[in-house]
Amino acid sequence: MITISIFLLILLATLVITYWAARRTSTTADFYAADSKLTAAQNGIALAGDWCSAAAFLGFSGLTALYGMDGAFYALGALVAFCTVLFLIAEPLRNSGRYTLGDVIRSRMQTRTSLLAAIIGTIVVNFAYLMPQMAGAGVLVRLLTGIPYNWAVAFVGAAMIVYVAFGGMLATTWVQIIKAVLMLAAGALILVMVLAAVHFNPVTLFNDTEAKYGAKYLLPGNYLKHPLDQVSLGIGYVLGLAGLPHVMTRFYTVPDAKTARRSVIWVMFLAGLFFAGTTIFGLAAADFVGQDVIRAADKGGNLTLPLLAQYLGGGKGTLGGDIMLGFVSAVAVATILAVVSALTLSTSGAVAHDFYANWLKQGKVEGRQEVWIARISAVVIGVLAVVLGILAQGVNVAVLVILAICIAASANFPVLILSLFWRRFNTGGVIGGMGAGLIAAVVLAMLGPAMRGADAIWPLVNPTVASLPIGFLGAILGTLIAGRDKANEERFDDFSIRVHTGVNPN
Amino acid sequence: MRDIAMTEAAHASIKALIREKIKYLIPMTAIYMVSFIGLTLLADFAKDIVGLRVIEAVNLGFILIAFNYLLSWVLALVYVRVANNRLDPLAAKAASQVMAARAAR
Repeated sequence: MITISIFLLILLATLVITYWAARRTSTTADFYAADSKLTAAQNGIALAGDWCSAAAFLGFSGLTALYGMDGAFYALGALVAFCTVLFLIAEPLRNSGRYTLGDVIRSRMQTRTSLLAAIIGTIVVNFAYLMPQMAGAGVLVRLLTGIPYNWAVAFVGAAMIVYVAFGGMLATTWVQIIKAVLMLAAGALILVMVLAAVHFNPVTLFNDTEAKYGAKYLLPGNYLKHPLDQVSLGIGYVLGLAGLPHVMTRFYTVPDAKTARRSVIWVMFLAGLFFAGTTIFGLAAADFVGQDVIRAADKGGNLTLPLLAQYLGGGKGTLGGDIMLGFVSAVAVATILAVVSALTLSTSGAVAHDFYANWLKQGKVEGRQEVWIARISAVVIGVLAVVLGILAQGVNVAVLVILAICIAASANFPVLILSLFWRRFNTGGVIGGMGAGLIAAVVLAMLGPAMRGADAIWPLVNPTVASLPIGFLGAILGTLIAGRDKANEERFDDFSIRVHTGVNPN
Repeated sequence: MRDIAMTEAAHASIKALIREKIKYLIPMTAIYMVSFIGLTLLADFAKDIVGLRVIEAVNLGFILIAFNYLLSWVLALVYVRVANNRLDPLAAKAASQVMAARAAR
């Protein structure tokens, strides 16, 4: 009851904001990029809301509670990934694009084929990410509130369609900001309570869990068992974030490269502190709540943080415990809403802006018409996500999460980075990189243990360590096979000026 | 003729900016890559080193994880300083030259 009340308050706030945002959303610039008028703090907090999916909010503490150090590796990778974004991606993207990753590839290559490759890369990654979020939403809402799976998925879908179709980027941004502020508040509260419980000596948590679960608990390899799993996960994170379209489009919502840079600093400190906190929360939950109770509530450990909050509030059946559990659960649902909205918005950009306006109509579309196409796309994508989410009930969707980040790292990242910085890179390279990276990631993930369990033909859960080099190889071979494109290489000078200064020389 | 000379000046400024970026960004990228990927390799292949107890039950792995958090934050702040003090002035100079060359055409 408390969960639903708190959540209804959050829902009401987001709907009021959507109403406000809808009245300010009429042009394509409004719809896709909030008219590029956000401040660094707004965009940085929204980035934190965008990047922390339920897998981060609930999953990191769960993995740490059940498997020790491996959970801490997941959390750390989620922060380190922003170093790549800050140094190499954020400012060039802001300078060279308008609304989508497709814009960057299109303005570099000026061919319809390369644009089509970018559209495929965006839509495949977004749907691979969206489907497990919907399925996760169904399971989570059912566990937290008792609402049946199908209704929960339909409800999440309806909310995200309303946010995106009516309020575009402005509403999506504020949903993310509300979620991020609540998430950070919950994190800070839980951290203070945990530290108070161990008399501000976190080493106690390590000593206690070692005593309870043995020395092996604090060693790596309890969850990631293959000798190359850790490094593959690390590479996937550090290079995959830069290939996730729904996160990267956030850089188009700020006016210039300097603001894009400052927004990364915001997210690195806010989300980074939260990620570091999840390791403490996981150890604390293993210590106070106990692995048996956590496993009994959910085999994957996804209820670790709500259970810890309940314990810290006074335990099951107490008012404090119920309020803490309700608060954390409501924030978890808000987390899912913020992420699926961003995915829907980014996908509708790929459909309406990249595919319809620029590929099909080759730019000859009125802005008002394009916005309507984008709104309709958002509705269609949302309905499709609900249907897929309902069909995915009981199916192992973990492989899709791995796939999304792996395709982002193996296909989108090589194509993006080579487009920005390699003079000779051409349309053949875009097709080669996108094709090779995508196929390698999909095939290896399907043959791996996440899909086939003990019958796995390929040993690694996360195949990025192999598929990323294949993606780069495909991009380079494609470039060489397609031959020199002199006009494209000459255009690179002007493109490069835009990438590095934001000024268009023509 | 004047606009060609101006375009060349703009291109020279861009080259100077890119050189300066490479000078800072390649070492900084190498630092976090080696530190983080190196740690994952240690976790994969040297579990006994990662498991060395440092402060009671806190082992070297957790210390290195904490170190990587700090390193990411420090590098991010260093990058902002470098970008504000060295890269932005070069980019502003190049941008004004590009716009002047465009206006002269």
